[in-house]
Amino acid sequence: MYAPLEPHGGRLVYNVVEDKDKAANMAAGLTKLEVEPTLGPDGAPIRNPYREVMSIAYGFFSPVEGFMTRNEVESIVKERRLLSGWLFPFPLIFDIDEEKLKAAGVKEGDSVFLTLKGRPFAVMKIEEVWKLPDRKELADAVFGTPEKNGEVVKRRFDEKHPGWLIYRMMRPVALAGKVTVINPPSFKEPYSRFWMPPHKSREYVRQRGWKIVVAHQTRNVPHIGHEMLMKRAMFVAGGDRPGDAVLVNAIIGAKRPGDYVDEAILEGHEALNKAGYFHPNRHVVTMTLWDMRYGNPLESILHGIIRQNLGATHHMFGRDHAATGDYYDPYATQYLWTRGLPSYGINEPPHVTDKGLRIRPVNLGEFAYCPVCGEYTYLGISYGDYKEAPLCGHTPERISGSFLRGVIIEGLRPPKVVMRPEVYDVIVKWWRVYGYPYVTDKYLKIKEQELEVELQ
Amino acid sequence: MSSGVYKIGLLIDEKRYEAIKNLPFASKMKSMFGGEIRMLEVEVDEDTAKKILAAFPSARVDARGFLEDLPVAFKSALFEAVVETKSVGKEAFEKVFQKIDQIKEAAKKEKEYVPPP
Repeated sequence: MYAPLEPHGGRLVYNVVEDKDKAANMAAGLTKLEVEPTLGPDGAPIRNPYREVMSIAYGFFSPVEGFMTRNEVESIVKERRLLSGWLFPFPLIFDIDEEKLKAAGVKEGDSVFLTLKGRPFAVMKIEEVWKLPDRKELADAVFGTPEKNGEVVKRRFDEKHPGWLIYRMMRPVALAGKVTVINPPSFKEPYSRFWMPPHKSREYVRQRGWKIVVAHQTRNVPHIGHEMLMKRAMFVAGGDRPGDAVLVNAIIGAKRPGDYVDEAILEGHEALNKAGYFHPNRHVVTMTLWDMRYGNPLESILHGIIRQNLGATHHMFGRDHAATGDYYDPYATQYLWTRGLPSYGINEPPHVTDKGLRIRPVNLGEFAYCPVCGEYTYLGISYGDYKEAPLCGHTPERISGSFLRGVIIEGLRPPKVVMRPEVYDVIVKWWRVYGYPYVTDKYLKIKEQELEVELQ
Repeated sequence: MSSGVYKIGLLIDEKRYEAIKNLPFASKMKSMFGGEIRMLEVEVDEDTAKKILAAFPSARVDARGFLEDLPVAFKSALFEAVVETKSVGKEAFEKVFQKIDQIKEAAKKEKEYVPPP
């Protein structure tokens, strides 16, 4: 059970062609098809499938090798399994307009040359061309409904939920098939120093000699509550000795307005080891390209897959994991990883079930500052009939990330017991660049225009 | 949205404190994180919460039941209304909704730019 664990599905995908001659041969004579963003009802970009192409081809989503067929999507929404039987939570759909399909004139069995911003990018071998069902029904099937999934879904999903909206706004036709990146992009600053795909990440873990590695999912600039979760999770994961390291993996892509900008998320976490709050020998910050679906328990499965593939042995899950709003129970992820979610076809926890994950969960509740103890203390978890007692008998002060965002936007420096000053300075640095500390429609448009990568 | 009462937390600095210190609800103010922040919690009923969420797409209810990610313009207007009506109840929100278009306009600009500290 030492790091790195075997990849999900047993084999790490690496469908990237670096040899330029080989790449040219693969693309020769193929029809070009531009990768286009998914737009929200107001025209704001909410997803760019290039991020999925990258994450598939570089092995983050192993064993997935391409965009899914209709049967595979049906299998996913029915029981969260690929056709091979391996656990996977979300449909990966390459959607296009009917007119565009007609104009391209491609059909099953063909290969298509994917371009990004007009530049050569990838090749897809088309296994199937299929029509999406009613997109609203698809989105509901992906995320669940209070009627069908009442153990964790508390409220019907709607347009305000960014992940639901991605499926709702998909184009009507899908191309399914294996993707291969034939023109590996270079990453822009600051992304380049955080890009460590699975084969490299696993090598990094080996070189460091780390045996127990706890993954931390983030779409946030870290406050001290997050730092406590990371540090305590490392000790929990170690069992009879402290764990070795925390592998922070940030999700980079289109996010909901109000989240922090991606650059600040990455550099904010990096600031923790630059400023010495973590020793760099016990902490690394990396990234995954993915337009977050905010699917709480479902997203936690994807996170488990990604981080197992990156080489982690454990994954820390906190309250409201990868969530937005009050659609899910705040401890839906802990419910999944302790009991399974039978209404989604997952009858056992993901790390227990056959063809499930090998990475192990560290389920934690919140940490909060106790003014009486003068330190961070544990508040415990409660869901269903399970309830943990808090660690201290006082009334600690909970930190909500969104509360903290309110403090920041009003121009106040957060107290040191809430956020490290070096992390706050990173927020202000990127605030100066974009004129705003959080994601806005303007930021999403800039991000869509520029992306995180450059292609030659 | 589940039923129940939501809250909005108004951050109170020294200037704001001067404006409300003699009002009855001033004693309800919470001192947080060793006294580095004070907060006045304003209760929001279901209907008002729905109206606020509809007016401001980036707003949301957080894990504690607080309405968060509200525009700075809305929070400032709410604070002014609290002072004006001497109330942390419905009267204050009515006052705010009288000029909601103006607030939304200000919030639109704010969505693109807020000067960094």
